[in-house]
Amino acid sequence: MSLKILNDSTLIAQGAEALDTTWDVDDTQPKPILLKYRFPKTYRHHSLNASITKQRIGTEARALVRCRKFGVKVPGVRMVDLENGLLGIEWIDGMSVRQILGGEDDVEIEDERVDHLGKFGISQDTLLSLIGTEIAKMHRADIIHGDLTTSNMMLRTRSPSSTSSSQPSSSAELLLIDFGLSSASSMPEDKAVDLYVLERAFSSTHPDSEPLFAQVLDAYGKETGAKWPAIEKRLDEVRMRGRKRSMVG
Amino acid sequence: MYSYAIPHLDATIHIALYENVSNSEELLKRIIAASTLEGDEGDIERATLNYAFVDPTLVTSLTQLQTAVYHALLSSSQSNLRTKTVHSEIIYILNPTNNITEALRRFGVSKSTRSLILIRVNERPPHPSIEELETAMNDLVNGEPVELDRLSAVTDWAAVRKVYKLNGDVVLAGVKGDEEKRIVNELVISTVATKSVAA
Repeated sequence: MSLKILNDSTLIAQGAEALDTTWDVDDTQPKPILLKYRFPKTYRHHSLNASITKQRIGTEARALVRCRKFGVKVPGVRMVDLENGLLGIEWIDGMSVRQILGGEDDVEIEDERVDHLGKFGISQDTLLSLIGTEIAKMHRADIIHGDLTTSNMMLRTRSPSSTSSSQPSSSAELLLIDFGLSSASSMPEDKAVDLYVLERAFSSTHPDSEPLFAQVLDAYGKETGAKWPAIEKRLDEVRMRGRKRSMVG
Repeated sequence: MYSYAIPHLDATIHIALYENVSNSEELLKRIIAASTLEGDEGDIERATLNYAFVDPTLVTSLTQLQTAVYHALLSSSQSNLRTKTVHSEIIYILNPTNNITEALRRFGVSKSTRSLILIRVNERPPHPSIEELETAMNDLVNGEPVELDRLSAVTDWAAVRKVYKLNGDVVLAGVKGDEEKRIVNELVISTVATKSVAA
């Protein structure tokens, strides 16, 4: 790896767009930060690559800050290095919802799944309603995630210090992560597509997903309030036609 | 004093906090005069005052300072400084707007400063020893060196909310006490970190 900072960090995941590492900010701090490195794409012209990388990091960082301001639970931003294509975010010590619910391909037996939820001290119903509520809060901030999947949601044990009054009943909190494909929009259409993408993700990774997703939508609707009927109507239309809008006419 | 290193940038950083400072007006005059002093005398004075002088009133945590230091170092290593030195860059990055004068007025030393943070960033070897720096800092500041855990005690939280424009933020509605400080600190760190891409 060409970047010196990456030599001091530990690789944890690699995708097509970026790789994730952890880096110790300084020896005295207990928690590392997560580095998301958008490595140069050799199939693109280097100047185009540079401008795309800068733009995407900027979008992701701004979306995270905006979410924070609106009370959506997301990791905090720690570092933005546009020249090198690096985004540093707060390390979340938790587990992805996909792991907790158990994806279809994951070799796990029923008993172990129950264990995951037990560790966090919440029921599956609570988890599903946390998901719906958090997405609703994000949409209220007019942020469209763009890639809602159960892998992009993390559950962590609520720290004893943060006893906010919003959800006193839950011992765990749900965070939305990976805003790399996010955008800003207030239109019911875009919010409905966001929900539709998650619905598809649920049905492709989790068996018998229909009642699960219905619970998510239920919580989403409650949190959204007066704007929910318009989005619900849109979601039905999106289900009929798919994610892409028809360009006919 | 708090010292740490950032190995991949070859840098060492030292941060000290003073309370009951009695010579801030004199320091301010010296800093301003040093910028235009010519000859060897000027070089020596600038070397003596080679720190970022930060008023801790608007500082919420060590992490906020470290975030600003890291981004100042990055800008410097990428020849991208918006101000003249890595130390003034720290003050520029702490301020949420792009106005350098405003940044210095809000986050720099003023006549009435009673508590003061000194930050020394060494961008390349040789790195001075902690003892040397401590002596030099103590000679400069008439005040009482204290541990950095005192930082949040001298913070003016209402002023922080105003300067970082957090008063309209939904997440802070109706939140009080330690929870408010925790959320404000987190928003401040994220704001400092995203300075280069702020809308």
